[in-house]
Parts: sequence; C-alpha cells; structure tokens
Amino acid sequence: MTDNSRHEQDSDLHELQTRFQDYITGKSEDFEKDIISTKDALAEHRLGAYYNAYRIRLIDCLATDFAVLHKELGEEGFELMILEYLKLYPSQHPSVRWVGQHMVEFLQHSERPDKSFLSELAAFEWTQGLCFDAADSKQIFMLEDMAQVPPESWPDLTFTFHPSLRWLDLYWNAAPYWAALENNEQQHPKKAHHELPTRWLMWRKGTNPNWRSLDVAEAWAIEAAFSGSNFAELCEGLLEWIGADSVAITAAGFLKQWITDEIIVSVQTAN
Amino acid sequence: MSSQPQKPFLGFGLGLRTEHYQEILDQQPKEIDWLEIISENYMIEGGKPLYFLDKIRQDYPMVMHGVSMSIGSTDPLNFDYLKQLKALINRVEPKWFSDHLCWTGVDHKNMHDLLPLPYTDAAVNHIANRISQVQDFLGRQMLIENLSSYITYTADAMSEWEFLTAVSEKADCNILLDVNNIYVSSFNHHFDPLEYLQGVPADRVWQHHLAGHQNTGNLIIDTHDEPIIDPVWELYEKTAELLGSVSTMIERDGNIPPLVDVIAELNRAREIASPFYAAENHD
Ligand SMILES: [Fe+2]
Repeated sequence: MTDNSRHEQDSDLHELQTRFQDYITGKSEDFEKDIISTKDALAEHRLGAYYNAYRIRLIDCLATDFAVLHKELGEEGFELMILEYLKLYPSQHPSVRWVGQHMVEFLQHSERPDKSFLSELAAFEWTQGLCFDAADSKQIFMLEDMAQVPPESWPDLTFTFHPSLRWLDLYWNAAPYWAALENNEQQHPKKAHHELPTRWLMWRKGTNPNWRSLDVAEAWAIEAAFSGSNFAELCEGLLEWIGADSVAITAAGFLKQWITDEIIVSVQTAN
Repeated sequence: MSSQPQKPFLGFGLGLRTEHYQEILDQQPKEIDWLEIISENYMIEGGKPLYFLDKIRQDYPMVMHGVSMSIGSTDPLNFDYLKQLKALINRVEPKWFSDHLCWTGVDHKNMHDLLPLPYTDAAVNHIANRISQVQDFLGRQMLIENLSSYITYTADAMSEWEFLTAVSEKADCNILLDVNNIYVSSFNHHFDPLEYLQGVPADRVWQHHLAGHQNTGNLIIDTHDEPIIDPVWELYEKTAELLGSVSTMIERDGNIPPLVDVIAELNRAREIASPFYAAENHD
C-alpha cells in the first residue's frame, strides 16, 4: 500500500499516530487534545508516561550497548548525549538492537572537543556487538587440519575467514582504555593519541567477542589474506617489513596464530 | 481458518531470559512446562542467543512473542521483518506466535514502545485486515495481546475488551490475555476487570501473561520488573475460573531475579489455576 492509496479512515488514524509520535519525540504537544484528562491524571501526565518511557528505554538500551562510553560520560552526560542522538538518528529499525548503529558517525560529527577519542571508544564497543551476533560458521579450521595440507600446496593456499571477523584502525588507545573501565580498574591509562593507527582485530571465539592488536606486518597480511591473496603472495608482500630469509616462517607464524584464534574456517588449494 | 481448532494447553511456562540460559540448559527444571522467547532477540545472524535457543529448544516446547510487528501502524506492513519472523518460526517450530494489539511507530520511525490504538470501528477494520495479511503470509494464526495503557482517546467508541474481541473475531486470530495488563489498565482507566474477563471470547484466549509493575500513585506503569502483586494473583484466580485451562507464564523483563524465584511464582500460578482446570477436565 502506497501513501497515496491510503484509505480515508486510515488517514485519520495516520494523522492521530503522527500527532502521538510527535508528542513522544518532543516535536509538538498537539496530541494532548486527543486524550481524555481525568481528575486523578491529566492528559499531560498520562502522556508523560509514554514520553518518559521512550527516553528511559532507549537510554537503558544504549547504556548496555555502549557500557564504557556510559561510564566515561557519567549518567547525566550520557543521557544528554543520547537525547541529542535520538533527535538526529531516530530509530527506524524494528529491533532495538540497531538503535545505536549511527553512534560513531554521530560522535564524529559532534561539536565535542573529545569527539575523536569518544567516537573510537564507541566504535570499539559497537564492533564487539557486531562480533557477538554475527553469523556462525559450521566449521573452524584447526591446526590438525593444517597438518593434512601437503607442503607443495602451501604457496597457492587461500583462506576463508569467520563471518564475525572485523578490524578497526584506532589512533587512540581506546581498546586498553575500554578494558580498564570495563574491569573497574583503579587506574585508567591516560588517553593517548598516536600519529599512526593501530589495527585491532576483532572476532567471536566460541560465543564471546575477542580482540587483539596487530603489528604493521600482520595488519597488512590479514587484510591481504582476507581479500584473497594466497600464501606465496603474503610472503612476497611481507618482504616490505621482513627479511627474505625469515619471511616464510613469519607468514607461517601469522597463519598458525589465526588458526589458534579460530578465525579461519577453511583453506582452499589451487586446482 | 473459519473453525477454531481445539485450544491447546501447554501448562505453566516462563519467558526465557539470558540470565537463566545456562541454568535452564544444565538443570532442565521440571516445573517449567514450556518457554516463551522474545522473537526479536533471535532475529540475528548467529552467536550466543541462537546457540542457547537451539539447545534449550531441544528440552522444551516454545512459543514466540514479538514486540515489533506494529500491526496497528498506518505504515505499510514491514515484509522484511515478516520474512525474518517466518525464518525464525521455521527454526523454532513454536506452538504459536504472538504480538501486541498496538503500533510502535509511524512514518518509518520506531518508538520501541507498545502504543495503544483508538477503539473505533475504523481501527478494528484496519488492524484486522493487517492481521489477516500476516496470518496469510505466515500460514498460521497469531495471538494478539492486550496492552497496559495510560491514555484514553477522545475518539474511543467502545471498551478495550470490545475492541479486542472485535479484532480477534474479524481477523480470526487468538488472544494472549495478559492478566497484569488488565489489572493495570483497569486501575488507570477505572473499569471493572471482571467485566473485561466476561467480555472476551473464552475459546480464543490461548495464553496468559502474569507480571509485576510499578504503582506511581495515580497511574500504574507496566514495567515487568517486580514480583506479581496479590491483586493480580486474585484476578488470575478469577480468570482461571471464568476462562478455563489457558497456558500461563510469568513474564519478567527487568530486574531479573534468580531462576528459583520466578519458578516460585510459576508454582503459585499452578496452585491457583489447577483446581479450576482439574474440575473442567472432569466435567
Ligand atoms: Fe505481556
């Protein structure tokens, strides 16, 4: 049904719903006239239940999705930020799971002096959520499986990664900072900005989100492997950072680590 | 779907909550006859919730309860949502699925709240037509749940129970009657909850919710984060007497207590309703 073909009776209902929604979002108070006041509770008071519930529900939900951002900003600071956020990014998804999907963008474009740190902190938390309920893989490639691969196949090997795998390039120490606040450690690391970003690999191991930082060589290698480069190509590319005599052993070391991390689901040999 | 199938009775169940996953999986408490899941929590691609869902499903019958269908909205039905719901129904094979007699947003926004509809003939037609479309798309009947509400529209032309009855009959759907919500709305709108119970078609009432709430003085706010209060237990007793055997569950959404506490509430429901159900089976 298009908006034009909306039945006339539906259009009354549509207008009523728009007025109600505008009341909830704080756009207009017109809707009060559609509501009966009683002696014990005026329309304004009754509607306040919906007005407040909308804010409380979404603030609670986002305080769970961004638990450390919430800690960092404090109760009041977080609430004020979310109210601003909801004005710019009202939820359009049926599931409350996705209400926070624009938070990083929102923070990046905010006027806050600490927006670059906060947006990285938010990105780190949001990405954990994405890892948490990303698709499952029927299989995980284990070290025993690697032993079955004949040595002559190694150069042509390509890799398929777990659907939960993601990475973030962060200029701030948002990840260790997150961990300190999450674990209620007495001493937080000082916020530190670096000229070059650190790549954080994030994925789900079993049912829990997992992450670790990569050095520049491994950061390049995982991206290349993810994009379909084979083992020989990885070795060749790694020559930029690693000497020719140890490049194969370094690449094999990365591969072994990825298998131990349970981020490879299968390997393919050339036909 | 013209003739009503025999109303199934699942016994006494619980809303499945994350906090209780491991305990339910490990101990499979016998007091729990069945479980209700919140559909949207499992409309995801993978990971922990679906892992536990599949495991626990092997031990218990389930029903599905949605909060986002927005069946009363004037936006077009969201078929992306309905396709996901269909996929989950195929995965879970629930005894039935339900959503609320409400709308959750309009103009493609979502308030993530259960917003009441005006009780008018136009609204009955609108919502019944949409329920029929959903039932056709999913190939099965749905249950529609009464809300807790805080407002009365000036446009209202009938009582809430007349509205619920008209919708369920016109759409040929069944009813999830939340006893706490009847209590909350009767307090907020000054009606007699017994009149409500006598006004709904008993053969269509397939499920009950029991829950707690917060009384703010002049309005009761439905929060599902407190134990069930005595007046709601009393109303449940009346409900069992009037409506007969109906699958009943405890719906706790916030401030989740240890499993044993919710099971204690479940046992209380069983104690209250069983005498009426037993009498009915002997008739
Ligand atoms: Fe309910």
